[in-house]
Amino acid sequence: MIATIGHLLLSGAFVASLAAMVLYAYAATKDNKKVERISNWVWGLKGLLVFASSAALIWLIMTHQFQYYYVWNYTSLDLETKYLFSSFYGGQEGSFMLWIFCGFIVGLGLIKWTRKPYKAPVMFVMALTQFFLLSMVVGWDLNFTQIGATPFRTIAQEMPNAPFIQANPDFVPSDGTGLNDLLKSPWMMIHPPIIFVGFAMMTVPFAFAIASLWTKTYHEWIRPALPWTLAANLSLLTAIFLGGYWAYETLSFGGYWAWDPVENASLVPWLIGTAGIHAMIIQRKSSRAHKASLFFAILAYVAIIYQTFLTRSGVLADQSVHSFVDLGLYGQLLTFILVMAVMGIGFYLYRYPELPSPADESKFLSKEFMTFTGSMLLFILGFVIIIGTSSPIIGKLFVEHPTPPEIQFYNDWSMPIAIVMAIATVIGQHLFWQKHTWESLAGVLVWPLLFTSVATVLSIILGDVRNLYYMIYIFAAWFTVMGNASVMLSLLRKNPKLVGGTVTHIGFGALLLGIIASSVYTEPLLDQRTANYNARIVAGDVFDEEGFPVTQKVEMFELEIDQPTLINNKYMVTYKGYELTDSPRPGQQNYILKFEPIDGSDSFYMSPEVYPMLTSSTQDNIEWSVDPHVRTGWFSDIYLYVAGSKYVERRNQELERRNRQMVPASDEGDQEENEVQTIEIRMGDTVSAGSFNFTFQNFVPASEEALPDNTQIGIRALIMVEHEPSGNAYEIEPLFAVYTEEGRSYTYSPPLDIDRWDMNVMFSRIHPETDSIELTIHGMDENFEEDWILVVAEKKPFVSVVWLGTFLLMIGFSISIMRHWKREKDTQEKEKRLNKPDKM
Amino acid sequence: MKPKIIIGVVSIVLFTSLLMYNFGNSIDSYVNFEQANDRANSHVIGTWESAEHYGFSRETMQFSFHMKDQDGNVRRVVYPRPKPNNFEQATQLVVVGEMRNNVFHANEMLMKCPSKYNDPSELELVNSRDS
Repeated sequence: MIATIGHLLLSGAFVASLAAMVLYAYAATKDNKKVERISNWVWGLKGLLVFASSAALIWLIMTHQFQYYYVWNYTSLDLETKYLFSSFYGGQEGSFMLWIFCGFIVGLGLIKWTRKPYKAPVMFVMALTQFFLLSMVVGWDLNFTQIGATPFRTIAQEMPNAPFIQANPDFVPSDGTGLNDLLKSPWMMIHPPIIFVGFAMMTVPFAFAIASLWTKTYHEWIRPALPWTLAANLSLLTAIFLGGYWAYETLSFGGYWAWDPVENASLVPWLIGTAGIHAMIIQRKSSRAHKASLFFAILAYVAIIYQTFLTRSGVLADQSVHSFVDLGLYGQLLTFILVMAVMGIGFYLYRYPELPSPADESKFLSKEFMTFTGSMLLFILGFVIIIGTSSPIIGKLFVEHPTPPEIQFYNDWSMPIAIVMAIATVIGQHLFWQKHTWESLAGVLVWPLLFTSVATVLSIILGDVRNLYYMIYIFAAWFTVMGNASVMLSLLRKNPKLVGGTVTHIGFGALLLGIIASSVYTEPLLDQRTANYNARIVAGDVFDEEGFPVTQKVEMFELEIDQPTLINNKYMVTYKGYELTDSPRPGQQNYILKFEPIDGSDSFYMSPEVYPMLTSSTQDNIEWSVDPHVRTGWFSDIYLYVAGSKYVERRNQELERRNRQMVPASDEGDQEENEVQTIEIRMGDTVSAGSFNFTFQNFVPASEEALPDNTQIGIRALIMVEHEPSGNAYEIEPLFAVYTEEGRSYTYSPPLDIDRWDMNVMFSRIHPETDSIELTIHGMDENFEEDWILVVAEKKPFVSVVWLGTFLLMIGFSISIMRHWKREKDTQEKEKRLNKPDKM
Repeated sequence: MKPKIIIGVVSIVLFTSLLMYNFGNSIDSYVNFEQANDRANSHVIGTWESAEHYGFSRETMQFSFHMKDQDGNVRRVVYPRPKPNNFEQATQLVVVGEMRNNVFHANEMLMKCPSKYNDPSELELVNSRDS
């Protein structure tokens, strides 16, 4: 019932978006204010319908209506409320709805704030994009074709041929498959909304660009569009940061960036959007670069749809770890991108001849030229990444079944581009606020260059940098920081509101420094034995059983419980055991490792976790997942996870044994045979049992207090128990006594526990004739081994600087948004004041 | 004006051809295990053969399993790292490495994980667990 309503509401929203589109188009061409007002109402109605149908979907999720495919597929009964809510946008259909809703809100802002000539055409473009997005989820089954995939479809509709549906069409599963454990993270809850706010806001510059081409007003549009573009970029940047931070903290990749297509999908629009911002700023300041700012505004949005197409159409299926599964939207997505690209680029080319172009060439040493260079470099970098990400399509030119490019492709291209960019920011920023000749520029750059040189030399020495290319890169990055900082200092003295641009550029420099330090200079943490082994591998001295040289280094080490191990000649690391807990995930183990730096600084603990994946584990097969621990520091992070442990191995063996026992024929019956064991030892001898050695060293007199009343004989035996594989040993002194009670003799041999090995030992008999004793041992596991874990750990220098750079970029963008927004508001006020007397 | 346009066009052409040349070199074609025999570095797509023994060995510090490529060839794959998260869940594996003596030595491994399950048997599985 609710689902039917939800589906109808969504269909209504789809129709409303079409109506709004047509009405806005009419209002724009006829400049009809009344129709425009009606269209605004239709826009509002559409938003209301989208909101209501989202509410319906959330209601289905909250009430666990598993007959609906979306609910069954992304949620389960045990999911916490916050994750139930976020699973609304966990799947492709829901995330489209979230995107649509964000677009609607942005549209409301545009209706309220947009200036006169632009409002109707801008809203037409907004309605057009909403129309396409809604078509992805409307789920209309026309006879000849299917439009979109509705989130309200039932399991029977999704899988009509499944045998259980054929048997019972009204089948309702009792529980859902649940949300992937890796996504149960607060970072992943807020990441999608922020990215879709960014996507929705990036529609605005596109819409303004189209509106400006439409109304042939090429100068004014950037003023209202600039704050939106900046805000879109801030959102995308925040989303990229959240995604990177989540990947670093949660996954076992060991990094925050992997050039994965889905990551690139948000980076490319950001780069092109930033290129657009630079072009718009030149246009605002110097009335140049109209063509570039229009072009980039159009391209940024096309890039968003293109990347959406790549990740959601199934094209990238082989290439990405987390691209969405194909929903059969290939054709629709292709239409979407083609319409947007043809409309945007086509309209641009159509108007190109009449676009304003500057009368004279800008000089090399001018703010226009430098800012434009920055803009072009950002665009080129975006272009390179698009080429790389498009390898399943473009790669077909070279090979039949193309793989993604090697990571090296991205690094090789982005590094030189970043170096040129870095230098351009400094010169550009100095020229931006003041005219310079070569001489005067050299004059103001003396101090920054001096500081840069000192910082670079220090970095090279302290970081032991040997690669010339990296040295140049580090120099460029420091130059960005120092050069922009000097501009910032002089601006702070004049007008602190203007520092937005310099702050972002300093952030960019910091980001470059952080990236190289944390990626190139990451070192694995290893014990001495593994390090030596790796040295032999590098020397080519290690061969496998078939005689081939081993080329793959081992990047993990084993720790045995309570055995301090020296790691990287820096830390004594001790594995202190694990705790089992059911919170937040059932069956989770929290491992405890103690790190003691040998230079005497404070010791600290790390607690990585291992847990069974709920969504995919069954009774006969547990899938273990790791949750790394990252210890964040100012200078370096330690990233560590437990890749294997005795506990996990034992649980897997138990399962394997149980699975085997379920098959009666192969009942091997390997029960614990050695629950109770007795051994006889002569004094001075050693007897082995399994992996344990028992040495009877001597008799020791027993003290009075420990003995019962009327004791006739009371004696202790000094026994050394050694676990051979680990070399751990305990000395125990079990007691043996004979006492009389009411005329009868009794023996008294209290068991002594050895907790660590889960066994207890009793001194059960004396054989005086052979000078030997008998020990009764409970709970001894012949194959006992000490608790151990396998650890993968890395030391990553200056990840903190990556975050610092990102935060500076965010702060800089925020300052600029406020400045440009205020300027736009002021202009509007002024216009209103100017217009009023006319009307009266 | 003329020379500027020429310089512009030439540099765009140069840049694009260099980019495409480099791009072409940095991609490779997916192959099957048979073809991987006589190549230095290959990408193979396949699925995990769950019937065969798999697991991480503490002696060799390697994770090993059997994989069936898209043409049905099954080979043992060794990977010098612990078993990746989501390994069993993966609907598809991509291994990157070198074939030596009929054993594939993977340097890199990608798991393609479903964000949804199309397989109806999964549904029955969930239900049989609960009922």
